[in-house]
Amino acid sequence: MAALAWAFAAHAVFAPGEKVIVLNSGDGSISIVDPVSKVEERRVPVGKEPHHLMATPDDRELIVANAASNDLVFLDPVTGEILRRIPDISDPYQIGYSPDRKWFVAASNRLDRVDIYHAGSFKLAKRLAMPKVPSHIAFSADSRIAFVTLQESNEIAAIGLERHEVLWKLATGKQPAGIWMTPDDRHLLVGITGESHLEIYDWRARKLVKRILTGLGAHNFVARGDGRHVFLSNRMANTISMVDQETLEVKETFPVFGGPDCMEVTKDGKQLWTTARWIRMVTVVDLETKKVLHQIPVGKSPHGLYFRSHAPRR
Amino acid sequence: MSAIAAGIGDRLASLWTWLHAALFEAVVQPLVFHLGMVTWLEASFDATEIFLVGALEVLVLWAALGALERWRPVEVWADRGAVRADVVYTLLVRLGVLPLAIFFLLLPVVDGLDGWLRMHGFIPRGLEDLFPVLFAHPLASFLAYLVVIDFAMYWLHRAQHSFGFWWALHALHHSQRKMTFWTDDRNHVLDMVLTDAVLAVLALAVGVAPGQFVAIVAVTRAAESLAHANVRLSFGRVGEWLLVSPRFHRLHHAIGLGHEGARQGCNFAVLFPVWDHLFGTVSATREFPATGIRDQLHGRDYGEGLWRQQWLGLKRMAGRA
Repeated sequence: MAALAWAFAAHAVFAPGEKVIVLNSGDGSISIVDPVSKVEERRVPVGKEPHHLMATPDDRELIVANAASNDLVFLDPVTGEILRRIPDISDPYQIGYSPDRKWFVAASNRLDRVDIYHAGSFKLAKRLAMPKVPSHIAFSADSRIAFVTLQESNEIAAIGLERHEVLWKLATGKQPAGIWMTPDDRHLLVGITGESHLEIYDWRARKLVKRILTGLGAHNFVARGDGRHVFLSNRMANTISMVDQETLEVKETFPVFGGPDCMEVTKDGKQLWTTARWIRMVTVVDLETKKVLHQIPVGKSPHGLYFRSHAPRR
Repeated sequence: MSAIAAGIGDRLASLWTWLHAALFEAVVQPLVFHLGMVTWLEASFDATEIFLVGALEVLVLWAALGALERWRPVEVWADRGAVRADVVYTLLVRLGVLPLAIFFLLLPVVDGLDGWLRMHGFIPRGLEDLFPVLFAHPLASFLAYLVVIDFAMYWLHRAQHSFGFWWALHALHHSQRKMTFWTDDRNHVLDMVLTDAVLAVLALAVGVAPGQFVAIVAVTRAAESLAHANVRLSFGRVGEWLLVSPRFHRLHHAIGLGHEGARQGCNFAVLFPVWDHLFGTVSATREFPATGIRDQLHGRDYGEGLWRQQWLGLKRMAGRA
């Protein structure tokens, strides 16, 4: 009976035929998961080391960044079908569009570069050599600045998108990874993966506002979709924290086994899906009870995941 | 029947996943965190699996190839003391200790070169870019890279025998007169660094993904262990063309044959003997001769223990031994 109720709820959230798309970075494939039956339907080769993915600004395609294949693969965001491939995108690890849709930025994690492409043509506009290990990306609302965490030099770099130059850098805690702009465009939240906390910066004043204890290996963010809360995965603590972006406090932290990494929240705000890197699973959590509902076996070292019926990104 | 086999396969895969995750989360991850090396978390996760694969591989080799060697040995020795050092080399290599050290030594060089090339507009193209059909067929892609890397290893092996300084190091590998399946990893560390550096640059140039590279190494080294086994085994008329057998490789280690003559030896192939057939370096001898280097018959010392073997290799390279 309960299973029937869940299946009904899932039907209500996900569109007919919609799939969950998971990047298996360790075996170069995508897992196509049925969100209703919670079963991996098929596994399709996509390229070498796919780590992150994002929808195009018009939401019509899903871009997979294959770091070791040096290319981008475009998928149907509903079914996961491969549509096209753009070569010669150097070592794209994390990717992002500026809010004005003018620039496409790729952080080259292995080769210490940040590349800025013309978003329409994917022609390289500028390749910037950076200090060690550029990781995640966030943007100012006016699209003037891309903020990139530098995992091995323990910094945030602010890159001006008008002149394609590094404007300033700011020292952080050890191994900053996930970076998130609050909806009011005021604060940058940074997951300090080499420690146990989140750092909050007033980026205009270029100063640290607050450190909040979350869990060992604070790593990556996703919005709850209510305009107020954001989830943060703590990879080594095996927990996920919910942070209030107005009061800048942790509201709650709940356990999710197996090295939680990238996350998605369903559009009704009731479920959180996360990849569990170390156990080759996708975990589905009920956000009301904070209980794990399902663990779905996928490929090796699952990293990015996406479904179209996700919560708003703020 | 196939459903039962699939069920067993799933259970084994699941067991492996949990073993890998448990070892990583309980031991490796806390260590990496305390060393302040969280950026290397994914790499250390892969290294944990390499360690597990290596441990399993050593066990399988010990059981399977050990049984083969007892079944039809080419030579029987009362004293196997000389084999001990080879066992230590094998454990150091297959459990990932030496490869990890070499990885950290070479990584800045290879990534620095790669980064520099890209700043100058050169992005390496993989075999998939030349043959797009490979994108959708990972097994075909793996085999294509295996052939390319094996071809390179054939020429690297020729170079190890051709250049004086390199032979001075590589001679350590050939100095084992009691050759067994453990002998494959008996190598000078500098010899390993040189070959790994060339292979890493090649892998970069042809676009081998790190995961693929590890799989290629795993397949190659399992076949190499068999090739070194002290067993009277040939793969037959057709098989001898397809894969390097213990008979084929023993000739490469044979005193007076394997590393002498106009081409400084014969049977250099690592996996596929076809390279020796193509480039005129194959020996058709059907025997199972004694192994070693001719100057050992005249008393030249290559050392018994690991440290002395390494030291003598350096001295030979400097022309002082």
